[in-house]
Amino acid sequence: MKYVGESFKRVDGVKKATGTLKYVDDLKPTRFLHASVKRSPHAHARILNINVNEAKKLKGVKAVITGREFSGAKCCKRVGLYLEDKTFLAVEKVIYVGEAVAAVAAETKEIADEAVKLIEVEYEILPKVINARKALDKDAPLVHPNLANYKYAPIFFPEPNTNISNHFKLRKGDVEKGFEEADLIVENEFFVPHIQHAPIENHSAIAQIDADGALTVWASCQSPYAVRQALSVAFDIPLNKLRVISPAIGGGFGSKAGTTLEGIIIPLAMRTNGRAVKLTYSREDEFVSSFVRQALFAKMKTGVRKDGKILAMKNEFIWDGGAFTEYGVNIVKAGGYASTGPYEVGNVWTDSICAYTNHPVGGPYRGFGMSEIQFGIEQNLDIIADKLGIDKIEIRRTNALKAGSYTSMGEKLDMCGLIDCLDVVVNEMDFNKKEKSSSPNKARGKGLACVFKAPSMPTNVASSAIIKLNEDGTAHLLVTAQDMGQGSDTVLTQIAAEVLSIHPDKITIKTGDTDHTPYEWQTVASRTTYCAGNSVKSACEDVKKQLLELAQIKIGMYKRDLELRDGYVVSKIYPDKKLPISELALGLTLEDGSGIHGPIIGRGVFIPPNIRNVDKETGLGEKPVVFWTFGSQGVEIEVDIETGQIRVLEVVSCFDVGKVVNPQLIEGQVEGGIVQGIGSALFEELIIEGGEVKNKSFVDYKIPTADDMPKMTIRFVENPEETGPFGARAIAEVCMVAAAPAIANALYDAVGIRINTMPLTAERVLKAIKEKNK
Amino acid sequence: MKEFEYYKPSTLNEASEILSKYKEEACIFNGGTDLIVRMRDEMTKPKVVVNIKEIEKLHEISYEKEKWISIGACVTLNELSKCKMISEKYKILTDAIHNIGSIQLRNLATMIGNICNASPLADSATPLLVLDAKAVIFGADGVRKVLVKEFIAGVRRTDLKIGEIVVAIEVPIYEKSIVGSFHKISRRKMVDLSTVCGTVAKVNGEIRIALGAVSPTPVRALRTEEYLKGKILEAEIIKGAEEKVVEDISPITDIRASKEYRIDMAKLIVKRGLMHLRDSELKWGEQSEA
Repeated sequence: MKYVGESFKRVDGVKKATGTLKYVDDLKPTRFLHASVKRSPHAHARILNINVNEAKKLKGVKAVITGREFSGAKCCKRVGLYLEDKTFLAVEKVIYVGEAVAAVAAETKEIADEAVKLIEVEYEILPKVINARKALDKDAPLVHPNLANYKYAPIFFPEPNTNISNHFKLRKGDVEKGFEEADLIVENEFFVPHIQHAPIENHSAIAQIDADGALTVWASCQSPYAVRQALSVAFDIPLNKLRVISPAIGGGFGSKAGTTLEGIIIPLAMRTNGRAVKLTYSREDEFVSSFVRQALFAKMKTGVRKDGKILAMKNEFIWDGGAFTEYGVNIVKAGGYASTGPYEVGNVWTDSICAYTNHPVGGPYRGFGMSEIQFGIEQNLDIIADKLGIDKIEIRRTNALKAGSYTSMGEKLDMCGLIDCLDVVVNEMDFNKKEKSSSPNKARGKGLACVFKAPSMPTNVASSAIIKLNEDGTAHLLVTAQDMGQGSDTVLTQIAAEVLSIHPDKITIKTGDTDHTPYEWQTVASRTTYCAGNSVKSACEDVKKQLLELAQIKIGMYKRDLELRDGYVVSKIYPDKKLPISELALGLTLEDGSGIHGPIIGRGVFIPPNIRNVDKETGLGEKPVVFWTFGSQGVEIEVDIETGQIRVLEVVSCFDVGKVVNPQLIEGQVEGGIVQGIGSALFEELIIEGGEVKNKSFVDYKIPTADDMPKMTIRFVENPEETGPFGARAIAEVCMVAAAPAIANALYDAVGIRINTMPLTAERVLKAIKEKNK
Repeated sequence: MKEFEYYKPSTLNEASEILSKYKEEACIFNGGTDLIVRMRDEMTKPKVVVNIKEIEKLHEISYEKEKWISIGACVTLNELSKCKMISEKYKILTDAIHNIGSIQLRNLATMIGNICNASPLADSATPLLVLDAKAVIFGADGVRKVLVKEFIAGVRRTDLKIGEIVVAIEVPIYEKSIVGSFHKISRRKMVDLSTVCGTVAKVNGEIRIALGAVSPTPVRALRTEEYLKGKILEAEIIKGAEEKVVEDISPITDIRASKEYRIDMAKLIVKRGLMHLRDSELKWGEQSEA
């Protein structure tokens, strides 16, 4: 291969490095208005009255809207990706601190902010639900009393008249029998708090309605077509009158996967006589009013044989889904079906429950449930190994999924590179060698985790791509898979270059405009290289087919014996017989001057093949997910035993990605995942008291800095994915998952303490050390 | 952010007059790294903002032989840490300054601003306390000098009166070079606020200890200092000092840390600081014998 597998520079690199790329907030449509949002100070309260008169009177205010005045009308229809439980503005009651209640569009941001202060809202405080476990109590207040009437995809299980928006069940084998046969049963509990994505670019959106009623939305969003669909339902606008443009994204990590602030500015834009309305979130809004990662309370009961073989697992996962769980229900499902971790377990019983609370809205976050559950699973396994006196690596080898194993959902694996990856990590970091610490008040330790992840997406998600050949032999590639920093623009360009056999510099990729770029379900689930990549490959094969069809007439050789090579159609047998593809770009001109065919435009579509629904009662199925990515990471840390501070010194990572399309980009992506994992392991936690986020800024919500970077060794195994483009499968999310449990395991190795709550703050570590030494 | 009037005087008299005229409604703008954040969050709503950065002599670092080094109000933290005289004489101060915010922030922020902000956890405060540094204050009635220890009066409260401007911090020059260390315990190593910070140093032959983020203002641990007077830094004495320092502080629990953790860290800073002193003196002793 010529282009796939090579480290081409990012196609979006120059504009990003020079700061000339225009993000949504950089766009300034003529005479656009600024929006500001009135937000709820209460976690749960009925709205008695909203007075907007003073706000309307303020000079420079052009429109004021409330959720209430739209009640029953167009704007505040409930919407959602999987469960339609969300309104963009609160209607009858507010259900979290920071929920939008009213919004203003004005000539300047200052006027809009001032007007928002003039809006008076009277509330009647309601009892609030601020603990996901208590949310399940019979007498708990209901966050969504009308849950019974909400629409949802039939693969989810809301329970009307409770706070349960999804109860996913996994039932495999006979778990009680498994426990009976076990030599050892361990029970552990783990807690993972809410965290936030903290992308460098805050959410931003602009809405404008033309004279003919067509709506254009510019949004910093990962999934323009999903946003278009949600907005179409919410505002009753036909899809041909609704255009969503995502010009650039400065980091998403899931926070921009759904639809959030777009729905607030559209009702404003409906009242501004064609003037555009812009809303950009502050960092505080970002922490409270966009998406957060759901918190998880996990109970795990594991039965094992003396030799370390796991016989049975019983899990209870209670997820704090927050005020709306339109997206979160699917994270709960993913966490449930992957609840064994990357191990073969015959008897499994898992209840994965999504609880509504009066907390910020839970949503997709890189890892989609895997980071949360595997923090417990991988510590649990080390605990068991310790109790049985078995080596930590050996117990993983004993239980690891292998070719021929059955996953938690009962799917037989044809291939599995997990043990290959584990071997690489163990050798690369000399795992069993104990290193000396740098000073007497410090202790060193090594820890490791094995992880897996499947793209969490519906069975039938679609992708498409269009490629247009230009007269000079260059091409335009059109897709709606969005590059948010992960490098998809470059990788998709390389895939196209490989099939067309032209240099990537000759291909310009265009993304993110629902009027002009073809359908893509979403840029989520680590699916872009695989799904969009397959559609790009298929579009380019379509171009190739057309080119060979025409070339065979011109060259006079059968198409079977022709191929594309470096911008030419070339005979495989007589290499000097060739024709530049530029000559065919607009069709073929015959000898008598007449033309045939017309411009070469390739069309490619893709749906992952043959994924089928699972059994509703058991969660089992023959082919429930498209594939799994397996891998392992090991870490070495140093702990200051007097302050409790942890420093991550080294991380070694290895994943089976099928095929590395761009070595430099994938290395960067994995490094990013590791560092994000370290952040969640050591610092990150939304401190929520009484429903209110207490640390909604970078002053008190810490993410890693350059100083926190460990030495990172990034390796890959390449067992090709049969259905992937050139054998590639996913990497984007799974590379974040292992860092936190590996660090927790290293902490035990260093000082003999276990902390079951993330993050492993210095204070928690010191407290545990002191208790141990008592 | 609310609208405000903006002044940029070029003399101290002019600045002082504007401040006197607008009284509590006026704020001094120097580095701006605290003020602008507070204005954005509407925690401070000045009607008048007085930029003092045009006043040339506030940018000076000056030196009076054998008496003091004076650091002008507008000297940025990065300028200060590049000043050789300061880093040679008062390494504890340079170390503390290096731990404030980020390098970008230190291009704007000033040490005088850090002191005038009067935060209990001001990183530059604890070295200044042990050094007996003074704030030099210009006002309508002339110039007065106040020990930094007394200048910081409470949480975000200073001794500054209407119309007054801190023009410099004067740090006394000591005969013997100062041995000591600055310690910062924070959640993240770089770009973070101190959970607890402190300086332990030998100044004028006596051990001095100052701690931040354990009381409403940065404090000298006077009881501990008293306890250490005339004692040799043996393990038992250091242990005693650790216990003693608890009497010098009154930390609270907040989202950054619990009271208990802060007490532990204050004790640890005392321990590590004293051990550093002991080890430095040992080294010094070895050298002089050689």
